Amino acid sequence: MECRRVRDLPTGPALLALARDVLLHELMPLLPQEGHLAARLVANSMAIAEREAVAGEEPAQEILRQLEKLYGDGEQGLLLRRLAQDIRAGDFEESQLSERHVREILWLHTITKLRSANPRFLNANGFS
Amino acid sequence: MVDTASRQSEPQVERRAGLARFLADASRARAVEITGLTPLRGGAIQENWAVDAHFNAGTLMGDQRLVLRTAAPTGVPTSLDRLQEFAVLKAAFEAGVTVPEPLFASDDPVIFGKPFFIMRRAQGTAAAHRITRDPALDPALPTIAERLGRELARIHSIRPPRVDLAFLASYEEVGPAHQIRGFRTYLDSHPAPRPVLEWGIRWLETHMPPPMAIVLCHHDFRTGNYMLDGTALTGILDWEFSGWGDPHEDIGWFCSKGWRFARLDREAGGIADRAPFYRGYESESGRSLDPRRVFFWEVLASIRWAVIALQQSDRYMIGGERNLDLALTGRRATECELEILMLLDPDGVPKGA
Repeated sequence: MECRRVRDLPTGPALLALARDVLLHELMPLLPQEGHLAARLVANSMAIAEREAVAGEEPAQEILRQLEKLYGDGEQGLLLRRLAQDIRAGDFEESQLSERHVREILWLHTITKLRSANPRFLNANGFS
Repeated sequence: MVDTASRQSEPQVERRAGLARFLADASRARAVEITGLTPLRGGAIQENWAVDAHFNAGTLMGDQRLVLRTAAPTGVPTSLDRLQEFAVLKAAFEAGVTVPEPLFASDDPVIFGKPFFIMRRAQGTAAAHRITRDPALDPALPTIAERLGRELARIHSIRPPRVDLAFLASYEEVGPAHQIRGFRTYLDSHPAPRPVLEWGIRWLETHMPPPMAIVLCHHDFRTGNYMLDGTALTGILDWEFSGWGDPHEDIGWFCSKGWRFARLDREAGGIADRAPFYRGYESESGRSLDPRRVFFWEVLASIRWAVIALQQSDRYMIGGERNLDLALTGRRATECELEILMLLDPDGVPKGA
């Protein structure tokens, strides 16, 4: 909250949203047809950056908290890699409880990433 | 009319002349005039050129609309080279698959700078978003899906051993165990851990189907790689990944969510339910599809597509290729990961998600 008060307004995400709107609705009609794909890709990149900026660090922190809960120890920055290695080794397959927890983390991780990268795809698959 | 020929650079003029001589020799024409030579859009791995030519006598006498296919500067090492792809295309043509007729091939670098082959030019569009979105096509799509099932069955009628296809890798070199090793090797080199992909790969490893009689697989048989002229199928394209394999692999790839484009609800390539596609395949091949094997290959398809998406993004992230499309493609890997979770853990969807 304090950071927001220090920074000028409009916020970075608000500027990105406005810039994207200008790109799609004012600049794109002026571009030749062969430039439209690139303009849409630029607009898509801006939308991802905007959503990631709005979401902030909290979604990633929640995944790290879940990983700490799963492992109980270990360096936070390496836990996702450790999870990947342990899944490859089949380490959770003997314990129903921890396998359940692993699956919950995998779902959380995936949905969190798609909320920024492609919320439309999430919606199309029945996720809010 | 603007005289475009007069604006051509010297290498372009030489290239046209060399190609005209090659076509004349190959078709036993007295002479060939190249009236058009323009690059076609699409194809990150291959480069396609539309060739319009007039043949004076010979086997192709008259005006012809052709395609010259050669490697793009950024080819991928896992694909066939152009002469090999030409041999596969010939085998498919002879097996009755709807493909642009393959005509001539050359590995002489003097003619076009690199090996190439010439085929007839199919009419129509392969644009997947248009095919899956166009309401005018809707009534015809189940019939097209059934036809595609028949076409795939014809591709799968090509079986080893084949002297003309002796260059194709053995099943051990391309089968699921090999692919799993390849996925893991790639992930070990990737900077960001991908636990969902690891989970999917582990599932593949522990659910490997028993071996069965192998066939020629297209390995990229999907919407976007066939051409429609109106509602008529005019050609199955892009054979550079072909190889021996389990026939269910092509079925799983065609049906996987990554290739449904605008219509995720239409499980057969975004164009129809599975039923007409499977019906076409089974009636043409005389074999029943095994849904468990299709499921296995569909899981593998999502992992394969995720790895391809990450590799495309690597071309920007690691290779320094300044291309926004490639950079964004890496984000699509997470879409595949959602699909892997939906396939393998359908009861595990988090509450409130």
